[in-house]
Amino acid sequence: MSRTPLQASPSQAPAPKATGKGRLSFQLNGFTVLKWLIFLFFFTFLLIPLFSILLVSLTGQPMNIFGSLVSQKILSSTLEKLSQVSLDAYASLFKADSNYFTALVNSLQLATGVAVLVTLLVLPIAYAFARTTMPFKTLFAALCTVPLVVPTFISSYAFTLMFGKTGWVNHIYRAFGGEGVLFDVQSMLGIVLVQVFFFFPYALWPMVAAFKISDVTLEEASQNLGARSWYTFLRVTLPLSMPGIVSSMLLIFTVSFSDFGTPIILAPKDLNLIVVEAYREIAGFFNWAGSAVLTVVMLLVAGFFFWLQRLVIRGKEYGTISGKPTKQKLNDHKGVVTVLTVYAFLVLLVPLLAIGSVFLSSLATTWGHHALPDGYTLEHYKTIFSTSSKNIVNSLILAAGALVLSVVIATFVSYFVVRRGSGGLDFVSSIPLIVPGIALGIALIQTFNTAPLHLTGTALLLIIAYTIRRMPYMIRSTMSSMMAIRKDIEEAAISLGASTLFAAITVIGPLLLPGIAAGAILVFVTVIKETSISILMAPTDWAPMSLAVFQNLLRGEYYTASAMAILIITIVILLQYLAKKLTKDQLY
Amino acid sequence: MGSVRIEHLSKEFNGVKALEDVNLEIREGEFFALLGPSGCGKTTTMRCVAGFESPTSGRIYIGDRDVSHVPANQRNCGMVFQSYALFPHLTVFENVAYSLNVRRFYQGGLGTKLAVLANLLNRKLGRVPKEVEAKVRDALDLVELGHLADRLPGQLSGGQQQRVALARALVMEPAVLLMDEPLSNLDKKLRNSMRVTIREIQQKVGITTIFVTHDQEEAMSMADRVAVMHGGKLVQVDTPTALYSRPVSSFVADFVGSSNIFDAAVKESGTGTVLLLQGNQVLRSAYTTKKKDVQIMIRPESIRLLTERQEAEGDNILEGIVHLATYLGPTIRYDIQVGELMVEVDTTFDSRPLLTAGTRVRLEIDPERVVIL
Repeated sequence: MSRTPLQASPSQAPAPKATGKGRLSFQLNGFTVLKWLIFLFFFTFLLIPLFSILLVSLTGQPMNIFGSLVSQKILSSTLEKLSQVSLDAYASLFKADSNYFTALVNSLQLATGVAVLVTLLVLPIAYAFARTTMPFKTLFAALCTVPLVVPTFISSYAFTLMFGKTGWVNHIYRAFGGEGVLFDVQSMLGIVLVQVFFFFPYALWPMVAAFKISDVTLEEASQNLGARSWYTFLRVTLPLSMPGIVSSMLLIFTVSFSDFGTPIILAPKDLNLIVVEAYREIAGFFNWAGSAVLTVVMLLVAGFFFWLQRLVIRGKEYGTISGKPTKQKLNDHKGVVTVLTVYAFLVLLVPLLAIGSVFLSSLATTWGHHALPDGYTLEHYKTIFSTSSKNIVNSLILAAGALVLSVVIATFVSYFVVRRGSGGLDFVSSIPLIVPGIALGIALIQTFNTAPLHLTGTALLLIIAYTIRRMPYMIRSTMSSMMAIRKDIEEAAISLGASTLFAAITVIGPLLLPGIAAGAILVFVTVIKETSISILMAPTDWAPMSLAVFQNLLRGEYYTASAMAILIITIVILLQYLAKKLTKDQLY
Repeated sequence: MGSVRIEHLSKEFNGVKALEDVNLEIREGEFFALLGPSGCGKTTTMRCVAGFESPTSGRIYIGDRDVSHVPANQRNCGMVFQSYALFPHLTVFENVAYSLNVRRFYQGGLGTKLAVLANLLNRKLGRVPKEVEAKVRDALDLVELGHLADRLPGQLSGGQQQRVALARALVMEPAVLLMDEPLSNLDKKLRNSMRVTIREIQQKVGITTIFVTHDQEEAMSMADRVAVMHGGKLVQVDTPTALYSRPVSSFVADFVGSSNIFDAAVKESGTGTVLLLQGNQVLRSAYTTKKKDVQIMIRPESIRLLTERQEAEGDNILEGIVHLATYLGPTIRYDIQVGELMVEVDTTFDSRPLLTAGTRVRLEIDPERVVIL
């Protein structure tokens, strides 16, 4: 830099510059340290475990990466194991008769089937929402959130209440002259149906958006050229909405592939699915090598489809070219609207009936001899509040822990990403999006199984696992409210004399609060719902409600399980309503 | 109060030069406009004064104080942002009181600090001292918004928000008032009345003001002096009238109003200059130049349009034919074909019929108004 020769007092000049620089670098240091601490957190509890599980899958033996860092002896044994790296485990995966191979194939089939079926099921409803004068849209939209608040293992259990051998649907079926059961719920078909009816809202809203976005003037052009409306729909509307539809199909694929709750309840003994197989290998046989291979495969598949989905969204966005909102003419053809309304109602009715069944069972003395329970009682609720109150408290404590940890980390990550453009943190913190719960659980259990960081079986690791798993969602929430705060608001405070810290406390903080609060509640909710991690990792002393339901089901205590499930659903619905209110009520 | 002196200010963003050797001296109490197209460096210059950007090289003085590396919150520059940047969770009163509360926080003891913080986080906690209350009321009365003190910014109109932002900046009695395109978010009518309001308040308070805008009309009508910037450099610093009548370059001439700009060859230069335009048209200018080939600028309204019957007063005359007449309300814009040149002429509308295309006319031009660029 060329220094100007015209400076008034060159001898004085460097002094203020030096102090200015010093203050600047001090500030930078404080923030940098914080940033590296957050990186360290993700490194320790996400990247190293995933890397470690990869090594285990290659060597076939448990690894102690943190031990290798502190002890020479462990390091040398680790190095020795590493010298035996081979792809044997993976080779056996692709022998056509191996269990793992069938598990992978079955899981892929399941996910593909669910993705296709959900798309077909949802297309008419999405069209109805976006393009017709269907009545009850608000009510239907509210009902669509219901399937998402129910943990999948509870919905699966609900399906057995309906379609099991003694289920009420089959009672009615037999009353009308049917024989045996409508279909075997403990089968691939059962799993597919549960996932279809409980995952479809994930696909619905993206598809509605896709239908809304596509340029209506193109459709009008098509009709103007003489095309019939069904022809217009097939040749113009549908292709224009295609990127949105394909992307939500891929999303459903990933969700179905990683889902643990449904198969663990409904998969029969002879049906291998990769998530269940991985769970059995680790929880039943302590087979590190096997579970590691399955984990890596799950990660690869989920990661691949996640990437594919991103690709689809980023690619053909011709549906969204016209930025100006065009007025859409809604289809008000009486017949079409009536058929679609009835159809949407029937689809939404299934999850409602399922939850209703759980509710009824939680009040039943016994249920199974007839279509309706033999009698009603509140005894099961009394039981859960007396014998399982510990589980309720555990759930609340664990969820609160994850909430606090998430809030702190997510707030700073959002700050670094939005205000300081830290792409690295953005990337690292969104990795959990592609890690199935079971995979994360196995990786953490393996990595922290021995000293020096022996955390497996502690509540702390459980909380960390919850936090990491829900981090991307929390960050999204805080990030969007962070982005809504324009930079000049902060600058205004500074120009009025406030320091960065004072501005953060008095201006940025209060403005961020609703976003953080809403995100925090959602973290709390998902932790209470969380199945895979809870079942895999929770120590007996810290068993949360979801694990209690699961164990009750295994022990055959169905009615108490129902009562607990209803409690979970109630808490989740209440809190989600609260979160929604918080984000909506933002005055500014 | 203070003057502002900018010496050899340069600023680079990732190696791209945004400002190059800017030198300015803004007098105490002056209303000074930075004018230029977007990307010319006017906002960067102001942000350097405010302290939001640190200069790559050069110095900035407010009064006698070298603030080049003083943090933004210690510069005592009041700033009005383009988006107003009002704190949406604080009432109008609290917005205006913010700087006073910040000052109390830093100057007070622990008790005051806690009281200020508590009050800022929840308005039900703690009271605002009398002197703060009085100052805020005065500032709000100055912008005539005393009756809206308890509203939230979201409940105000754009013009009202604008005035709150002004009051918030003025209440801290800053050394300099900085305004970044403060009128660009208002509709045209409101903009015109806010121009007057801002100018009146500035005169009343007598505060040194730097005003950034891309709108020449705004700059010319409000400022004591205007600096025109282009490509990160200062092009001309002058009073609005001088800027208009004696621009130094075709860029300035064009930017501050419509103008006829022609290439010309210098035939003679003595007390004035005799110029030869394209197509051998001869024109005199009252100004002198040492160059051989120049550009000249004539404002459309400084040309007298004469029909064949009207008598000329001077002898600096071009002859042409009406090509196009455009009626603009108070004025008529004529495009006159003079040889190969097309000259724009503005005349006031006097309810006589417009000249039709093809009419022979003479253009009389005062040599004083033929500016050599």
